[in-house]
Amino acid sequence: MKIRTIARSTFGTFLHNKVILVLSLLFLAFFLMGLYSALKFKSMTTASNAQYMQYLMWEDIGRTLLLLSGLGSLLAAWAAADSVAGEMKSGTILAVMARPLRRWQFLAGKYLGVLMLMSVYVVGMLGVIFLLTWLGGHPFETSWWVLLVYPLVRYAIWAAIAMFLVTLMNPVAVMGIVAALLSLIQFLVAASSLSDIPTWIRLPLHFALPLTTVVLDESRFFTMTQAALKRYPWTDHMTALAYGLDYALVCFLLAIAVFQHRSLTRG
Amino acid sequence: MATPAIEFCDVAKTYQRRFAGPRIPALSGISFEVARGEVCAFLGSNGAGKTTSMSVLMGFIYAEQGQCRVLGYLPGDVRAKERIGFLPENFAFYHHLDAEKLLKFHLRLSGRQVANPGALIAGLLTEVKLEGYKGLTIGKYSRGMVQRLGIAQALLGDPELLVLDEPTSGLDPAGRKDVRDLILALKAEGKTIFLSSHILSEAEKICDRAIIIDRGRLVCAGGMQEMLAQGDRVEIVVDRLPEALEQAVKGLGASVEREAGRVRIAADTAQKRALAEMLWAADCDVLSLTPMKTSLEETFLKLVGEGTK
Repeated sequence: MKIRTIARSTFGTFLHNKVILVLSLLFLAFFLMGLYSALKFKSMTTASNAQYMQYLMWEDIGRTLLLLSGLGSLLAAWAAADSVAGEMKSGTILAVMARPLRRWQFLAGKYLGVLMLMSVYVVGMLGVIFLLTWLGGHPFETSWWVLLVYPLVRYAIWAAIAMFLVTLMNPVAVMGIVAALLSLIQFLVAASSLSDIPTWIRLPLHFALPLTTVVLDESRFFTMTQAALKRYPWTDHMTALAYGLDYALVCFLLAIAVFQHRSLTRG
Repeated sequence: MATPAIEFCDVAKTYQRRFAGPRIPALSGISFEVARGEVCAFLGSNGAGKTTSMSVLMGFIYAEQGQCRVLGYLPGDVRAKERIGFLPENFAFYHHLDAEKLLKFHLRLSGRQVANPGALIAGLLTEVKLEGYKGLTIGKYSRGMVQRLGIAQALLGDPELLVLDEPTSGLDPAGRKDVRDLILALKAEGKTIFLSSHILSEAEKICDRAIIIDRGRLVCAGGMQEMLAQGDRVEIVVDRLPEALEQAVKGLGASVEREAGRVRIAADTAQKRALAEMLWAADCDVLSLTPMKTSLEETFLKLVGEGTK
């Protein structure tokens, strides 16, 4: 009950946040870019080049999806960091924590509030994908649940990482670290030859970073594209999602452990 | 015997910037108690350690040494927090909510079950004179209105102990009087109130006890009446004082004030006996001999001044 109260309040606060408004405008801009491409490819499609145009359109939508997905990761991290740091900076946390509320309950409420926000974001992202492919004349054929659950788990991971980091440092530093981690992952995903990276670097990276399927051969947490486009048995999906949730849970528990012992005052 | 509402036993707290910087002692082994049903003022200059003490008490920060107990529990214990109402210094709030929504939020967190939450909240808002602002977001409130709202949220859970950090901060004289009256009403209900204030004249009027700290150290703790009577002067009232005797009295360093039908003589406590004997010997009728009360402000400045020296 108390966790839900904190979560709802956190979600309500996000809806009045200027940074969220800016990110929503960015989301809209990415959507419009994708829409422009989808309509352009549709107008260029003829009977003879239909397959090629479909390929080009999906590639373009894939890029839009990548931007939206990256924006979502940053949003999840920022929302998690700000929801805790903002309360401490403004001092609102004092009146809240004077209530019969345990510290872990406060953090769980905040985390749940972030997940509520990211659920709205994921639904919006799914809507954008279906709208773009439909308007482009080439509806996307995949399991819709993959496009809902995978990004949500991914954002749960980033939110938990940010929540852990913000119990140790200020939110600007948190966003710096998150941006660096995201860049590193993008580099690893994009790297053509991972075999050049020595094992003693690859192994720690594999365990330290989320979404590092490509670092080692074994699957740890699928990227959304992998999960959406390749046909895996449900056991593989469950394993991949369990890895992701496990990663988020460990980070969240670390956040609770640190938050339990830190000062709640501005000083 | 009931446990005290608040117990501080040799509590110490030091601040230090992360990784480097000097260690700044905020509290240096302070010990005091606040009994149940008492209204206790917690006084000290800026930076004396009042807010730090209150933060330790509420479990927002941890003391490095000593032990603190509130209502018999360790700070931060949910069982204690269920029975505490807290007003932080510079009460902060969610700007986008109105007063009613904020109080509903706090009521849900307090876990208090009430049949009609709307009526309870409306009653509290009337009590702090914030009725009639329905729909106005708190971000548009004045400083005084925010402070009143903070007091309302502190009262929300019908607490047994009220911890108020500068409750009259930001209020105009009428608002300060309202808060004073409210505290006196709560005192009559038997609630324990622990408040910090810079306005010593108010603390003097409403508090049973005072605890004075200076630079993290306890300077003085005691009953308000004893503290105010700590002056080192006495007042002797006599029916008459012959002119010749007046010079002798003044010779002992006393001051004389003639009124209709009586004469007031103020002198150092050390001269009390000599003066009384002198007056009796001259056949003056001593109507009263009482220790002169000092104001809390005088006592505070004297004690804190001594600490500074």
